[in-house]
Amino acid sequence: MKNVILLTIDTLRRDVLGCYGGGSLTPFIDSIQDHCIRFNKSHSSGPYTQAAFPGILTSSYYLEYGRQKILSGKRVLISEVLKKSGIVTTGFHSNPYLSGYSGWNRGWNVFYDSMEDEVDEKVPYIKAEKINKKVETWLSSHVTGSRDKPFFLWLHYMDVHEPYIPGRKYIDLVDSSIRLTEEEMLGLFKNVLLKRDVSNKGNVEVLRKLYCAHVREVDERVKEFFEILEKRDVLKDSWVIITTDHGDEFGEHGGLSHDGKMYAELVHVPLIIYEPARENGEVVDTLVSTIDIPPTIVYLFGLSQVNAFQGHSLFPPEDYLEKGVAGEAVDKHGSQEKGEEKEVHYYREGDLKIIYHERGDSWELYDLKADPKELHNIIETSPYAERMKQVVRPRIRRYQG
Amino acid sequence: MPIDKEISEKRNRQCSKLVEISKDIVRQAFDKFKPEELGITWTGGKDSGLGLWIIRQVCQEKGIPIPKTMIIGEGDEFEEIEQFVEKIKKEWHVPLEVCRNEDVLKIANYTLNAPVKVKDLSERNCAELKRIGFDGEEFPFEAESYVGNHLMKTVVFNQFLERNRIKGIFQGLRWDEHPARFHDDYFEFKEEGHLVPEHTRIRPILHFTEKDLWDTYAAFEILYCELYERGYRSLGAKTTSQISIEGVPAWEQDLENTEERTGRRQDKEKAMERIRQLGYM
Repeated sequence: MKNVILLTIDTLRRDVLGCYGGGSLTPFIDSIQDHCIRFNKSHSSGPYTQAAFPGILTSSYYLEYGRQKILSGKRVLISEVLKKSGIVTTGFHSNPYLSGYSGWNRGWNVFYDSMEDEVDEKVPYIKAEKINKKVETWLSSHVTGSRDKPFFLWLHYMDVHEPYIPGRKYIDLVDSSIRLTEEEMLGLFKNVLLKRDVSNKGNVEVLRKLYCAHVREVDERVKEFFEILEKRDVLKDSWVIITTDHGDEFGEHGGLSHDGKMYAELVHVPLIIYEPARENGEVVDTLVSTIDIPPTIVYLFGLSQVNAFQGHSLFPPEDYLEKGVAGEAVDKHGSQEKGEEKEVHYYREGDLKIIYHERGDSWELYDLKADPKELHNIIETSPYAERMKQVVRPRIRRYQG
Repeated sequence: MPIDKEISEKRNRQCSKLVEISKDIVRQAFDKFKPEELGITWTGGKDSGLGLWIIRQVCQEKGIPIPKTMIIGEGDEFEEIEQFVEKIKKEWHVPLEVCRNEDVLKIANYTLNAPVKVKDLSERNCAELKRIGFDGEEFPFEAESYVGNHLMKTVVFNQFLERNRIKGIFQGLRWDEHPARFHDDYFEFKEEGHLVPEHTRIRPILHFTEKDLWDTYAAFEILYCELYERGYRSLGAKTTSQISIEGVPAWEQDLENTEERTGRRQDKEKAMERIRQLGYM
């Protein structure tokens, strides 16, 4: 039986990856595309970590079970399902929202959340380089110890997440005219990004380039990780799913970072599956969601599907029934979370995307074919508006008593 | 009073074996460093207590005194632990240094939750706050908040190393106490950093599970703090440690299927602080 690896890269925009038409920031990820299935229209179930990860690891939506800070016991983690079936489950990450304290440590044979480690004062997480080392240490003990036992490995890189303070080498690869010191980059984070201040286009552009420099660097970490798999002789026996929890905004809709918005830069995400035996790359245009990841993993291990999972296995492709995709969040602003957040929902079907704001009970509708940047709200004029509202209303109502 | 628990002969042998592994680590530490370059961290709790008992055995076999031992006074201590520490200190001749961040304690007037204004702190403490990215004007005095933990424990620890020129420091950590410990090594070299002296952390009891530990206490009649009899499983600061099961001694609880650290608040504090540093909240 093969292993399944889930590599999630926090805050990774789809459009920065070369294979999605984004230039040359990701030479390694682009280079493995011949062995991958690439999903062109994958969507996240939410625009920030807490809203997105219930989809990725529990195949459920954020607002279900009352949006608790601690993961509800009613949600089933993919690790719990697999561990019960005798598969070795390991997770390595450094996102404080997914810590053991918050309940994400259920069902793992090995769970590293970095909370006991000291982190840099400026960049408060353990970087991918160290995550890779930890994975390699574990892998070497697994390979010598219980080689015949299949494993599920989840690793999560935080490196692209703000504050954007990339190394010189990577800034130069993006734009060598940027000569900011670390202090100045931290200043941009505190004074521009945290304030969501998009008034100065030049500042926003610099932030975007610094972000891109991180993407360039993270591609090398992915490369390193694949080399580790090869060195330990497990790549040939492993599926590798690469995705993110959400994207990042650089002024496209008047903001920065990733707040409770539902536009493409945040919820239209990359999803790539590396398949060892594959020799020709494939691009899939079906509309899929990150909530499909847990059922896909279950399928790849040949186990029977789990009732609690709301997504559908992406394999075999002919059995996947294309439906609409949805996501949920609250309209918090990262730096000033207050107790009065209101729900935000989105739903996409074909090229139509509808967004509902509980605040003001208002709607937005976009025709993504004519308006891929989601700038022209056609809720008042579109003949499809009423039908789209009707599809979304039951989703909204299930949380309102 | 030693633990009143029957330990089978087989189990006794297993515990002896675990103790031997630890002793071997301690012996390696003595080979690597001079006795005066070694230090011990002790809290009065079960883990560092077992470590101290094992180190003492190796010292007796070598005919040398116990290395300099530190205990952190964080300003929120259990009287029961203080009494226990006093007793062991006398019985075992432990060269004990009680280490406190007096600067912070004074400003907080030795009162929990009293506000501490950053501008009143010493230069060193201000530098330490800067190092961990805290830029607020004040914080409430509490040993297990992120800031409090750093000033009351980490800083005091680093100063102990510095003051005594310690090169190797024994710690009582165990792999099974928290999943994050999985990657800890018996010897971990720490490079010199800003305000952190170069040192090696030595963890001789890493391989003990919580159950192994209590069985070893019983098998060798090692002394422990009475709070464990009352149902505490994990001891930290007084106001933030909680009894796991009232009246059930730690060793009689279901050690293998329940969480050891449920009584501790620090995990939450750490997660919250990281979230804050990322710019959320």
